[in-house]
Amino acid sequence: MSARVDRIAKNAPAECDAAILERIANGEIGALGELYDRHRESVRRFVSQATSGAEDVDDLVHATFLEAAKSAGKYDGRESSRAWLVGIAVHLLRRRRRSLAQFFTVLSASSARSRSVDPRTALEARTDIERALARISEAKRIAILLAEVEGLTCEEIATALGVPIGTVWTRLHAARAELRAALAEEAR
Amino acid sequence: MSKSRCPRSFEAEASRDGRLGADERASFEAHAEKCADCTKAIRELDALGARLRSAPVPRADDLQARRERTRLLSDFNRGLVEPRKKSRAQLFALVPIAALVVGIAFALHRVGRGVAADASVSPEPGTEWSSKVDGEHTVIELDRGTLAIVVSHGPGARPVVVHLPDGELEDTGTTFEVSVENGHTSRVSVDEGAVVLRLNGRQPVALAAGGAWNAPPPSFVAAPASATSSTVAPESTTKSADAGAAPATSTSPAIARATGSTSADEFNDATLALDRGDACDAAGRFGRFLAAHPSDAHEEDAAYLHVIALQRCGDAAATKEAARDYLARFPHGFRRSELEPLAR
Repeated sequence: MSARVDRIAKNAPAECDAAILERIANGEIGALGELYDRHRESVRRFVSQATSGAEDVDDLVHATFLEAAKSAGKYDGRESSRAWLVGIAVHLLRRRRRSLAQFFTVLSASSARSRSVDPRTALEARTDIERALARISEAKRIAILLAEVEGLTCEEIATALGVPIGTVWTRLHAARAELRAALAEEAR
Repeated sequence: MSKSRCPRSFEAEASRDGRLGADERASFEAHAEKCADCTKAIRELDALGARLRSAPVPRADDLQARRERTRLLSDFNRGLVEPRKKSRAQLFALVPIAALVVGIAFALHRVGRGVAADASVSPEPGTEWSSKVDGEHTVIELDRGTLAIVVSHGPGARPVVVHLPDGELEDTGTTFEVSVENGHTSRVSVDEGAVVLRLNGRQPVALAAGGAWNAPPPSFVAAPASATSSTVAPESTTKSADAGAAPATSTSPAIARATGSTSADEFNDATLALDRGDACDAAGRFGRFLAAHPSDAHEEDAAYLHVIALQRCGDAAATKEAARDYLARFPHGFRRSELEPLAR
């Protein structure tokens, strides 16, 4: 019943994201729940793939929506906030990378890995496309995932990442080349 | 891309990434129709995109998704009530540290008395259970057997959640006992404090001190969690003298049919009204439902949807009153964090 109640509460009548974010900016908590229900899956998918399935995916998703709620008053009014949310997630991923880098300089990398499984075994358990994605840099991985999986235009990606559109094109080209090479190697 | 002889094949990627103007794009598309190399380049790009979209992504189960949703709304609410600046860099520095703590704090108990971070656990012989710290919760996993649990609520103690094969049990301050048999929760009894029991496909049950919940006998088929269901398993609950428990009473199917329109029908009609956008009508229907069926299995959902309907109908005063009514009826309700701001 809860799934149906959730659906009814969030679905009738459908509002554009801009209206929901305006309600969030006015402190309406239920509106944040609606935004979360609407975009949780796509944000979670992106974060999971961008981090190659890190264990803190849920924390990153949580932080993304919390940040979105705090920034709701600055939303630019687009009908769909998906690109905006993904941009927030990218921003948090960068900070996470910097924090992890600082953390791992204090502890040795092998003891700091929180996985209880040998990373080599974990990698082997994945599909070839997941292994190929894990092999390219995070910047290229984010760009190609935003373009091919999340369906963002290059202009939207450039805005989300805060980089020139030419940089996006370069990263996409390099990502495709490296992925093809990695997949060809997997196939041998 | 495989080596290509056509000098225009690079335009396949340029077109895909929006680098070509409208005329250039049209020109390339016309060319590609007659060029095997460029057609192949387009197909290779499409295939790579399809493979990326097919990469599996682990989905959070429904219970985990609901917990995350509740956590988000609670944190947002806390931020509204007690806004404070916090360095985001500090927040994110905690992520890898928390992950490391999870790894270090993980422990597997098979027999004997155990300590699960913020709870003292006494398992009966043969019980299979484990515990770990998961973010801001201490999670106890009970696979089989019976655990007696005393939860610590001192400063800094984390809330305790017991994961069951068919749901979860959230502690809200207390001493309780929970049993699992054949992959199903069979009994929960509370000595002190209160718990909320959430089992898949069932309404949440709040149990206070002295209360107990027993699973229905195996001959009954549990009803799917649907407003139109007319077969509800006769779970037995013992309501404690301490108010606050929301008893999961069942509606007798025989009596319901004898009176014509059932409470389930009325609840369903109200939700349909809300679903089609008729918020004011839905608000009236939910209000009448709650007055006529105060102990119905759909009571909590109806009380919550009543608030939503009133809000959408634009009646701020009634929304506030209904939200307060929900919080009074269900102090441990599933939607409390969402409705608390509406009650202020």
